[in-house]
Amino acid sequence: MRQNKKLKNIGLFLLFGGPTLFIFSAVIVIPFIFGLYLTFTNWSVATGDSTFVGLSNYAEVFTDKDFLTSFWFTIKYVFACLVFANFFAFFIALALTSKIKGKGLLRTGFFTPNLIGGIVLGYLWQILFSRVMPYLGDQYNWGIFEKSWLGDPDKAFWALVVASVWQLVGYLVIIYMAGFASVPKDVLEAASIDGANYFQGLRKIIIPLSIPSIIICFFLTITRAFLAYDINLSLTDGGPYNSTEMVSYHIVQKAFLSNDFGAGQAEAIVLFLAVALIAITQTYILKKREVEA
Amino acid sequence: MKLKMASIFKLMSIVLLSMLIACSNDSSNADENSNSDENSNDNQDQSEDVKITFFNTSAEVNEVFENLFDKYEELNPNVTVELIPTPIGGAQIEKFQSLLASGTPATIANLDAGAILQYKDKFLDLESEKEKYEALTTPGTIDRVLLDGKYLGIPWTSQGYGLLYNKRVIEEATGESFDPSVTRTRDDLAALFEEIDASGTAPVVIHGADWSLGSHYTGLGYALQSRDVEENLAFVEELKNGNVVLSDNPQFNGLMDTFDLLKKYNLRKDDPLVSDYNLDSTAFAKGEAAFYFMGDWTWAVIGQLEGRDEEFGVIPVPISNNPEDYGNSQIAFSEPKLFAIDDTESTEAQQQAAKELIEWMLTSEEGQTAIITEMGLNMPYNDLKAESPNVISNSVSEYVQRGDVISISVMNYFQPDWWSKVGASMQKYLSDNIEREELYNEFEDYWESTK
Repeated sequence: MRQNKKLKNIGLFLLFGGPTLFIFSAVIVIPFIFGLYLTFTNWSVATGDSTFVGLSNYAEVFTDKDFLTSFWFTIKYVFACLVFANFFAFFIALALTSKIKGKGLLRTGFFTPNLIGGIVLGYLWQILFSRVMPYLGDQYNWGIFEKSWLGDPDKAFWALVVASVWQLVGYLVIIYMAGFASVPKDVLEAASIDGANYFQGLRKIIIPLSIPSIIICFFLTITRAFLAYDINLSLTDGGPYNSTEMVSYHIVQKAFLSNDFGAGQAEAIVLFLAVALIAITQTYILKKREVEA
Repeated sequence: MKLKMASIFKLMSIVLLSMLIACSNDSSNADENSNSDENSNDNQDQSEDVKITFFNTSAEVNEVFENLFDKYEELNPNVTVELIPTPIGGAQIEKFQSLLASGTPATIANLDAGAILQYKDKFLDLESEKEKYEALTTPGTIDRVLLDGKYLGIPWTSQGYGLLYNKRVIEEATGESFDPSVTRTRDDLAALFEEIDASGTAPVVIHGADWSLGSHYTGLGYALQSRDVEENLAFVEELKNGNVVLSDNPQFNGLMDTFDLLKKYNLRKDDPLVSDYNLDSTAFAKGEAAFYFMGDWTWAVIGQLEGRDEEFGVIPVPISNNPEDYGNSQIAFSEPKLFAIDDTESTEAQQQAAKELIEWMLTSEEGQTAIITEMGLNMPYNDLKAESPNVISNSVSEYVQRGDVISISVMNYFQPDWWSKVGASMQKYLSDNIEREELYNEFEDYWESTK
C-alpha cells in the first residue's frame, strides 16, 4: 500500500515536472556537461579530432591577453550599467508610484525598450550615434556629438552603457514599483506624524523595506550585463579596433572565428564561475541588510 | 509583499544558468536539421527520387536561389532541392559547423574559399570535373580556385576591387573627360586628388571597416609580392618565422604610402571609423566623393539608389611611381564563393544530383540570368547568355579580359580571424592612433603569433 503511494507520487511528479525536467536537461544540463567535457579536449569541427588535453585550455584562458582585456572591459561596463540603470530605475519608479498623472502611459513608455530585442536595439542606437547625433552636433555645434561616439574607444564604451541602460531601466522600474507598493503606508504615515520629511522617509523606510527588490534588480543587472552579447554585436561589433569586445563576444569569436572551441568554452566556464561568484556575494551582502516592517 | 529569499535564490540561479548556457552553447544544437537526416538514408531505396540540400552563405540572394531551385525542380521532377538559408552578416559559419558536427551536412555548400580549405577533408574532390570547367570558364579561373592544389569548389561568381571612380564627379572637377587608363602611379593619383579637392569635392571615401581595411587593403600587400601564389605563401611563411621586416618591403611601403594619400583626402577624415557601409556607398554613388576603395559587389547598394550617378568604373590602387610595377595596372580579382559538394554523409546519387544542379545553374540561361541579372554578380564563365546591369563589374571584366588581375588566392590560406586582427591595427592607423612603425610591428606580431 505504501509502495503504491510512493509510485503514485513519482507518477504525479513526472506528470507535472517531467516535461520541464526533460527540457531543462536537454537544453541546459546536458549542453553544460558536454561543454565542460569540451574544455578538456582540443575538439574542432574541421578535423573532428578530440584528443584529451587536460587543463591546458584553462591555462590558455589566463594567458590569453585579449580575454583578460575583454574581461576587464566587461567589469567596467557592468559597474557602469549597475550604477546608472539602478539609479534611474529607482527614481523613475519612485516618481511613478507617486501621484503623478499619466502613470500608465509613462510606465508603458519606459518598459517598451525592454520589448525590443537587443539586436534591433543595437542597430537603432548605431544609427543614432553614427548618423543622427553627428548631424545634430554639426548643426548646433555641440562638441560632444560632433564625431560619432562609435569611432572612439572611450565614447564607444559609453555608447554601449547608454543603450544598455536604456533597455534595462524599464524592466527594473517594474520591479522597483512592485517593491515600493509593498511598503506599508502606515509606517510612512507614522514617520511623517513624527516629523520625518520625505527624504528621511525614503532613506530610513522605503529603501530598507525595498531591499528585496534591490537585490533582484542588482542581480539582474549584473548577470545581464556580464553576459551581454547581442548589443555588443549590433552596436559596436567589438570596434573600433576590437576595443569594445566584451567577454561573451570574445568567447564567441574565439570558438567560432578562431576555431578554438576548447579554449573558448573554457573561457565561458571561467566567466560562469566569476559571474556566479559575484552575483552570490552581492545577494548575500544585501540580504543581510534586509529588514521587516 | 515579502519575498522568500530561498526561492528567489533558486530562481535566480536558474536564470543565471540559462543565460550563461545560452551564450556559451556551441556545438550541440543538433535539433536544427533533423529533417535533412532523412535524405542520407531514404534515397538509396528509391534511386529515382533524390533530395539534396543547399547551404547558402550568400544570404542576400537567398530568394534568387530559391526561385532557381523551383525552376530546376520543374525541369527535373525527381530532384528536390532544399535551401538552407543563413542570415546576412549573421552566424553563417556557426551554422555550417553545427550541421557538420551533428552529422547532417548540406549536399552543396556555397562557402568562402577559405572556409572550404579549412574543412577540406569534408568535401568531394572534383578532379573528374576539372577539365570540363576549365573549358567553360575564363582562362586562369580554375587555377585561382585550387585549394592546396585540389579542385574542391566550383567557382560561380567573381569579384574585383580597387579604387572605384565616379566619372561625373571627376570630369566636373577636372573639366575634361576622364580616361581611367592614364592614372597608373601614385603621383598621377595625387595630382588628380589635388585637382578634385580644389573643386570642393572630397577625392575619396575610405570605408573604415576591418574587413575592408584588413582583408582587402592589406591583403594586397601579400598578393603583390609575386604573381605566383606559392611565392606569396612563402613570403607569409617567412613573416611567421620573423624573417621579414615589413618596413623594408617595397610592396608594403608602397601600399601604405598610397594609404596615407587616401587618408589625407578621405571624405570621412574627421570621423574615419564610422564605417557605415550603406552610407559610404551612397556617398560615393551620389557624388560626394570621386573615388571609393571598394569592389563591384557594392552595386547591390548602389544599383537600387534613387538619384545616383550613372557611370562608374574601377582603377588599380597604385603602389609606386613606376607604371610598370605589378599592381599599378592590375586590379584584385577573385572567385570569393565556391560551390563545394559534401563527402561525409551524402550518397553517391546525391553527389551526382548536386553536380548536375551546379552545372545547370552555371551554364543554363535561367541560371546565368539569375546570377548575373538578378543578383548583379559577375560570372567567370565564357559565352554568357545574360547581361549585367552592374557597370562596375563590367569595368572589372575589361581588366579580366586583358588578364590584368592580381590573384589574391593567398588569402584563402590565412587563419579565419586574420582580417579582424590586422583590420583592427589598420583602424588604429586610420584614426591616427598609431604610427607606421607600430602598425608594422602589430602586423609582424600577429603573424608570429599564428606560427
